[in-house]
Amino acid sequence: MVEHFFRHEAGKIVSTLTRIFGIEHLNRAEDVVQETLVRALQTWPYYGIPKNPSAWITQVAKNLALDLIRRDKVFRIKENEIVHLMEQVSADSHAGVAEPGENGIADDRLRMMFTCCHPLIAREMQVALALKTLCGFSPAEIARAFLTSEAAIAKRLTRAKQKIREARIEFEIPAGAELTRRLDGVLQSLYLLFNEGYKASGGEHLIRAELCHEAIRLTSLLTGHPTGNHPRSHALLALMLLNGARLPARLDRDGNILRLEEQNRSQWDQPMIARGLFHLMQSTGGDEASEYHLQAAIAACHCAARDYLSTDWPRILSLYDRLIEMDDSPVIALNRAVAIANVHGPRAGIEAVEAMHNREQLDCYYLLYAVLGEFEADLAHRGTATKHFRKALELATMKSEQIFLSKKLQELEDPRSRGTDV
Amino acid sequence: MSTQTKAEYLLLFRGTDWHKGLSPEEIQEVVKQMYAWLDRLTAEGKAKAGKPLFPEGKVVSQKKGRVVADGPFAESKEAIGGFFLLEVGSLDEAAEIAKDFPGLNYGATVEVRPVAPACPLALGLEEGAEERARASA
Repeated sequence: MVEHFFRHEAGKIVSTLTRIFGIEHLNRAEDVVQETLVRALQTWPYYGIPKNPSAWITQVAKNLALDLIRRDKVFRIKENEIVHLMEQVSADSHAGVAEPGENGIADDRLRMMFTCCHPLIAREMQVALALKTLCGFSPAEIARAFLTSEAAIAKRLTRAKQKIREARIEFEIPAGAELTRRLDGVLQSLYLLFNEGYKASGGEHLIRAELCHEAIRLTSLLTGHPTGNHPRSHALLALMLLNGARLPARLDRDGNILRLEEQNRSQWDQPMIARGLFHLMQSTGGDEASEYHLQAAIAACHCAARDYLSTDWPRILSLYDRLIEMDDSPVIALNRAVAIANVHGPRAGIEAVEAMHNREQLDCYYLLYAVLGEFEADLAHRGTATKHFRKALELATMKSEQIFLSKKLQELEDPRSRGTDV
Repeated sequence: MSTQTKAEYLLLFRGTDWHKGLSPEEIQEVVKQMYAWLDRLTAEGKAKAGKPLFPEGKVVSQKKGRVVADGPFAESKEAIGGFFLLEVGSLDEAAEIAKDFPGLNYGATVEVRPVAPACPLALGLEEGAEERARASA
């Protein structure tokens, strides 16, 4: 069985059943899918995995759904119509063969994506809802990934579903001028989903990596569909792939953070980089350069460098210069300062940080002090560097971050290491 | 030492809703574990048969004539979800195998019962004869 097969089948069938039942019965669609998977668990081990597991699951879900429609009073008025729609669900779409049914399934998942990411739903609810419906995550799994309680996630999901009902959000792919606006919302949510997995700020490492992979999968669904096949979607997918390809090298065996210069580049996922570069090319189809384009291009520069020393920093800096014009985020400004330091030296890096007009937003961000500490250490300002790293250590919440910073401090205190006292 | 004689043991998997709260990912994981467990037992020649059971059925009893009712009525925690027939050397060995049943981690229980060559009631009557047979062997 393919990895995450049940999870992804769940996403497909929930989407299709939701179209047929109506979005207001999303919970019922989820229940049918849950029951279907339990049936698989109850029979497959005894009788063997069916030759076409996907078709088996579709057929069982269809039968259970038909039972439900006939039994449940809420479907009474529309029963015939729903049964008719139900009967059109193709149970014989063989894996790898594009049958007419496959397009329908893709449409349904896009509908679900646009519904989950509707602008009337708060962003963090959008992401939780997409993970639940499209990616088959349980509230417990979402909670583990977001480092929060299961109850908090359950509440988020309930509120999101409530909002869908109250605002009468349609289960549809928007068209015309509306599409562009709504597509942007979907892309932003997928970007957030990816970043949640990518930033190593907490949670279980494994499940966080899965967030990145789910974000990549959903974005691939978008780029592979006429509705989402847009340069910006390709740029977003490229940036996810090019950054995601480096995930396996970001931690050492003990789970400690490795900086870009310390990473073993042979562990970077080359097929993923190739896919990323392909989508980066696809993303140049239009005449726009979105933030996603620039971030993807920056990631591509890192992926293209054979080793740390051959990194094309001037090019990265020019990309950050353009990025900061579009997005005045202090985090981007901080990253730009790192690029500046690599091109013009640590002194210029410090000046760039000092010139940040929104620096106070990062007052509690450990990386601000870690970056300043690096710059000062490069200038052999041992005392100032120590001060910054101590502050960073105070703010760091992850064990791996703390270990990394303690190591830095030890190096600075070791009289045999480089630099002089200030 | 003579070769150990093999006997049949029935594993009854109790609990029909232990998997209700699992996520799709977890369900797939349990399917995988069940497969590994059953495959290993089959490869070792210890597994003879096994089938899942539907939770619904009929209960036949003799109260005021023959009564056929929908059932069984056991609570879902008690209800039998499936069975498995083993051929191993001892009850302890069968119990050891049952300990590895992946559903245990999720709240299912396994009942291990030796399969008798005949109804134990009839066996009681024959016991004396059997003991004599063993003594002369």
